[in-house]
Formats: sequence, C-alpha cells, structure tokens
Amino acid sequence: MNGITIALSKGRIFDETLPLLAAAGIVPSENPESSRKLIIDTNQEHVRLVIVRASDVPTYVQYGAADLGVAGKDVLIEHGGAGLYQPLDLNIAKCRMMVAVPEGFDYASAVQQGARLKVATKYITTAREHFAAKGVHVDLIKLYGSMELAPLVGLSDAIVDLVSSGATLKANKLVAVEHIMDISSRLVVNQAALKLKRDTLQPIIDAFAGAVEK
Amino acid sequence: MNWLLPENLADALPQEAAQVERLRRTVLDLFRGRGFELVQPPMLEYLESLLTGAGQDLDLRTFKLADQLSGRTLGVRADMTPQVARIDAHLLNHQGVTRLCYCGSVLHTLPSSLASSREPIQIGAELYGYAGVEADLEILRLLAAALERIELKAYRVDLGHVGLFRALAQAARVTPETEETLFNLLQGKDVPGLEALCADLPAPYGAALLSLSGLYGGAEVIDRARTLLPALPEVTQALDTLASLIAAVPELPLSIDLSDLRGYHYHNGVVFAAYCPGYPAAVALGGRYDGAGRSFGRARPATGFSMDLRELARLVPQVRSQGAVLAPHAGTDRRLAAHIAALREQGEVVVELLPGETACEGPRCDRKLVCLGEQWIIEAINED
Repeated sequence: MNGITIALSKGRIFDETLPLLAAAGIVPSENPESSRKLIIDTNQEHVRLVIVRASDVPTYVQYGAADLGVAGKDVLIEHGGAGLYQPLDLNIAKCRMMVAVPEGFDYASAVQQGARLKVATKYITTAREHFAAKGVHVDLIKLYGSMELAPLVGLSDAIVDLVSSGATLKANKLVAVEHIMDISSRLVVNQAALKLKRDTLQPIIDAFAGAVEK
Repeated sequence: MNWLLPENLADALPQEAAQVERLRRTVLDLFRGRGFELVQPPMLEYLESLLTGAGQDLDLRTFKLADQLSGRTLGVRADMTPQVARIDAHLLNHQGVTRLCYCGSVLHTLPSSLASSREPIQIGAELYGYAGVEADLEILRLLAAALERIELKAYRVDLGHVGLFRALAQAARVTPETEETLFNLLQGKDVPGLEALCADLPAPYGAALLSLSGLYGGAEVIDRARTLLPALPEVTQALDTLASLIAAVPELPLSIDLSDLRGYHYHNGVVFAAYCPGYPAAVALGGRYDGAGRSFGRARPATGFSMDLRELARLVPQVRSQGAVLAPHAGTDRRLAAHIAALREQGEVVVELLPGETACEGPRCDRKLVCLGEQWIIEAINED
C-alpha cells in the first residue's frame, strides 16, 4: 500500500526523466526500449514504473493506478486535468504547438474572410480553444497521427500539431503560420495519493523540483 | 438488448444492496444518537431552488425536465444539501441550533469521474444556526465517528479554509474571470500556471496566492502560513480557526491543505475532505456554507458533510452475515409453521421451501430444520 507507482511514456519523456529520477535516487532496473515489460522495477523496493502511452498518463494517475506521472502539457490540456495536481514544470520534452498550412496557402486571408476552416489535429481541445479565441469557425477532424498528410491530400486546410525541429513540416512542404503555445512536460500527482502518501511522495517531488533545469 | 442499462448506472444486486443498507442503517443510527433528525426532501424540485448559490458545475450536472402542472422547469436533485438548507431556513424556522440528516439517491448528468455512478446515494448531516468553530468541530467529530463506525480503515481528513483565498483575491482586486482562473489553477496546484498569473497581481497578494499552492502538510503548515501570508484580519481569523480545530482533536488523523477550495461557490469557511487508501478521490466532503439559506428567506450559519454510500460500500470490507435456516414446506403442519415463526421471532432468517423445491439459491443457508422423530431440530448443512 505504501509503494509508489510512477507512470511514464517511452521515448523522449522517459529518456529526459531519467536524470530527474536519479536526483530522487531512483534508477530503473531495465530500459523499456529493449524490454517488453510494462511494469519496471527500480533500485528502490517500494518504487516501480509503469510504461503507458503518453496520452494515457493522466488517466492512470487520475484513477490512482499510478501515484505520479510525467505528461506533456499538450496531453494535459486534452485530458482536462480533473483529479490531478500538476505542481511542477519539468522543462523537458520541449516543443511548440503550432498551426501549419501547405506552402502557398494564404492563411491570413482565409482566417480574415471568416470562412470555415477545416483543421486536422490530434489536439481537439487545444485547437477548438485557440480558434474560438480568434473568432474563427473551424471544422475539426480528429486524427491519431501523421497529421502532415491531411492538407496534402485535401482532407483539411490546416493542421494543429506539435513542432519540435520543423523537419517533418519541411519535408512535407508545410509551413508553420501560428504559434499557439510552448509545450513541456509536467509532473502530475494523484490528489488522494498526495494526501495519503505525502511522506514518501513529497521527497520525490522536492528532488524533481531541485533537479529541473531552469 | 433491452436489459442494458444506460452508462454509469447500475443495479445493486443482493450482496451489494445488503452492504449499502447495512452502512445506511449504521450511519443513520449514529446520526440519530447525536440528535440529528432525519428529513426526506423530494427527488424533484423547481430548478431555481436546487441551484441557489451553486456554481455552474452543479447546473450542468442537474437533469432537467418540464413540469406538466406548472410549465416550469424541474430539476432532479444532484445534491441534497441545498434542499436541507431550504428545509432549515424556510420550513422549520427554529431560532436556535437545528441538526438534520438525510440519505437518498441523487442523479448526475455527468459522472463525477469515468468510473463513478451517475446515481450516488448521498448520506449526510448538517448543523444550522451556530457560527462558532465548535459547530465545525462537532461535524468533524461526527464524520470521524461515522468512518470509524463503518470500519473504514486508515482514513485521513484534510482541512482547508475558503476564507483565505477569498480574502487574498479580494485584496488583490482581481476580476471575477481572473478569480475563476486562479481558483482552477489552485485546485490543481498548477504552480507554473499560477506563477505566470500571479506575477501581474499587486504585491504582496500575488505572491501570497502563489504560496497557497505549497501550503499543505501537517499542523506546521499553519505556522508557515502565518509567515508567508499577509496578516489581513480574515487570514488571521481563518488560520486561528484551523489551529483551534487541529488542537481540539489531536486523536484524529488531520492534515492541512490551504489550496483545497472544492465547493468554493457555496462554501465560505472551513472545508474538509476525507481520503482512504484504495480510492483515488475524497470519500467524504464537507465544510461551512453560511448564508445558503438566504435565498430561501433566512441566512443561517451552516456546516455539514456528506458521503456516497455506493462508493463506501465498495471500500468497506463485507461482513459475512450469519447463514439462513432452510426449512421444508410447512403446508398444513401447524407445529412446523409455529417452529419457523418462533425462529424468525428470534431474528433468524428462515427460508421455507416450496413444494418440489430441494435447495435455496437465494440467501446462503448453513443450517436446516429436520424432523427427528417427534422433534424439529436445526442441523448444520455441510458446505462442500
């Protein structure tokens, strides 16, 4: 009961969380890239990691299946954050949420004329709020990946997606036309867990806070 | 598929129903023993009276329908607290202290979380007409007694005070929109979001609002708060109230969280939430909500708490009740019928088989009535 479960996603978030875990004295016993295990033990007997999809991290933490988790701000906005504390910006897995259109598409006038814009995205809530704040009507098309393809095959006029180097956009002849927000990963904590296991969770939160690059 | 129920609604089958009923009786008996009188408000009311003083979230969670008799909009209660406040303010009209308790189903349009029922069974107690901290203490003790009586293990009660946030937000002269944003950020202890917002607020209130998010833990939090928060009269008063509560019940597992503002829209003083292992949210919520009766014609000090019996029934270990006695069909056998009646009089569960029936699939029977010569005796059933 006093054990701690931390939910992480594979790849960039896992890699960049490792130094923070190390600061809290936690070292995973296996690498999820090479292991097929979904539950990974650590050098500390009472701490274990669970490897889940990035967009599922808030759900695992909300329902107490994990006490802590690391989730991108993009994922947290889509989830809504109910039942979660998000006390710490970890400054890792940084990127930008952008609007992108095909090269040559006149975004400024498309938006100005008040025409309805077809937008393909994985980030429905973010896109809806962004265009609502601009006063632009949009038809949102929910996709689960390869958003860059949508404008190229006529599925949408624009996309809302995460951009980190911009190489994928460039390779597909798209240009970023609007910056919606900067994204980085947050530490999320189950609300009841912080009340019931404060003695074991707080030192980990404090160690993470001390190790974050400002 | 006409047997399928809508999402987040469920039947309580015998075992669960028995557990819910056992807890209901246990808790209501406790309330009664402490002078809390039971009231039973209706399932439906005019929408306005259900939503007085409540936030938009309660409005959204209330099922609505049109009343054929009056043409007005009715709401199905999503929370019984405003109904009980109405009863206190308008119907009973007591001048002194009123203690009321209640238990009933409420309906939610949206489940409070993916796994929760849209028809919780709300059970609670409210104390009206006393503004002093002693009333909060009585409610806090009652909550602890209820959790102990139903044997909910290892619970913890977290205290907060809505007055702190109200005083700081007012002193910082924020717009209602900013106040709403601040409230949401504090609820999620979203420190990065608060840092961005509080930087623009006048000193020292911006920094004080930001520091609320870190003010949680044991009793020492109150001393930390005294140094970190500006000494506004409301702030000092709120911290004194919390300190006196903690000092009064050292035997309870209390902790403090000054950014816990749940129910901000109708609470205005001490708020509390109980947590227990195995459940990812609070199992009981309560606090002070003075003035809720105002829209019913009489503002009265008020404090109380409520819990959901369905969730509690899942968390509390099942009590294995004594098995039932299986009896043969009595028919015209008056002696057997009298024997069965006598056993039932003693509190035994006796299942009388119907002609042709050989076993009972209902309650678990661990004994049977058998005829030995002239005598009816009870014999154990071997469970294999």
